[in-house]
Amino acid sequence: MTEAAPEHALLQELVAAFADGELPPEEAGVVEEHLRGCARCQRELALQQGVSRALAPGPARGASAALRLRVEQMGPPAPRRYAFLRNRSWAAAAAAALVAIGITGGSALLARRGQTSRPIAEIALLRDAVADCRRAMTRNFPRKADLQAVREGLEFPVRALDRPGAELFSTWKTTLAGSPAAGLAYRWRGIVVVQYVVPAEIVRQQPAVGTALRRKGFYAASERGQGIVAVLTDGSGTLLVGDAPPEELRSLTL
Amino acid sequence: MKAEPKRARFQSSILPHLDRLVALASRWAAGSEAEDYVQETYIRAWSAFDQLRDAGASFPWLCQILRTVIGERRRTRARRQQLVFVTELEAAHEEIVASDAASPLDDLLARLDAERLRDALRSIPEEFAEAVELHDMHGLRYREIAQVTSVPIGTVMSRISRGRRLLAGLLAVTEEAEATRGGGDTKESRCGIIPLDATSPGLRMKRNCDD
Repeated sequence: MTEAAPEHALLQELVAAFADGELPPEEAGVVEEHLRGCARCQRELALQQGVSRALAPGPARGASAALRLRVEQMGPPAPRRYAFLRNRSWAAAAAAALVAIGITGGSALLARRGQTSRPIAEIALLRDAVADCRRAMTRNFPRKADLQAVREGLEFPVRALDRPGAELFSTWKTTLAGSPAAGLAYRWRGIVVVQYVVPAEIVRQQPAVGTALRRKGFYAASERGQGIVAVLTDGSGTLLVGDAPPEELRSLTL
Repeated sequence: MKAEPKRARFQSSILPHLDRLVALASRWAAGSEAEDYVQETYIRAWSAFDQLRDAGASFPWLCQILRTVIGERRRTRARRQQLVFVTELEAAHEEIVASDAASPLDDLLARLDAERLRDALRSIPEEFAEAVELHDMHGLRYREIAQVTSVPIGTVMSRISRGRRLLAGLLAVTEEAEATRGGGDTKESRCGIIPLDATSPGLRMKRNCDD
């Protein structure tokens, strides 16, 4: 073994990256220069290239047609085109009627459905819940579903949803609108629904949410395809967040 | 300029990766189970789509979500087969590249076989296997692997380099163990590992109980 120079320890780590074309030019130049005079690193290079080449993928099985269809249909349903609006006179009449109904009429309609037009971003509890949900979706749901552990230290009851088909798979503690909260994630009808449990008072204090709760007993909203529902249950407030219309999410609380 | 609707953006930037993601999920599970993982990945990707800032980075982003989904769903199911001794494999690799004679390396390169290497990937530590697979089998760049696995790019570089060395070492000791077995000797190999099942064509190895 004639090339046992100390630089081996450093350069050996770089040979793979050199073989993969991942080194910046100056470092690649240093490795290339070293390789010219070092049989041992030349063998390392051949080995790295050989293993990489042998592992290179052949034709792989793709997604099934059924999966492709499910994924293509993902998201909220495409907006419906109402046939009567294609008729210009009907469209003009409808527009005039909408103007006549105005904001108050629209608000009353939304309120009747327990919904509000106030943007979610303006309501601290909902904004924090949606942000926490998105964080969990992309980064990491805690691996355990441990209701007992998540209840510890919380001064309000935390009850999991008890609906057929809702499978609890993760629990965690978080903070929403400055208040401690419990997060519970479920698989339900092919989607993930997150339940946040917070003190009832926190829910009542939220603008628009408190009003809807007093009037209709629940709050419902949707934003960019994501449904949000708030209800009060047994001294706690529950928020449900998921990629489903709020009416569907609400069925989980009934 | 009016923003392209979310659904259209999702379909143009995320859907093209479906086949690649199923292939990647097949690393952990087969058939419908792999597709279940992918479906959940797409559900979460849809929910969090607004967080994707660079459409060009959508595949590593999906890989990251898939990795999370699989981590949650397979918490009790070990993918790893019995691990072999890393230090022994490194010694075997060292012997190959340190030898001035061409034959050990040439022999090894001539024997490199995709099926055996893929089987061997299950016997080396997960962090090395994952980095090698993501690069060599799924075509991710180092910086993408760093993003997917949440480690610095230098760590990725080291894991890929070391992972391939371990694979080469494992093939070498397996050949040696098989040669020994073929000679009627079922005692331990030089590297302290023996075939788990003498009838198995694969590379399943176990620790030698005498150690």
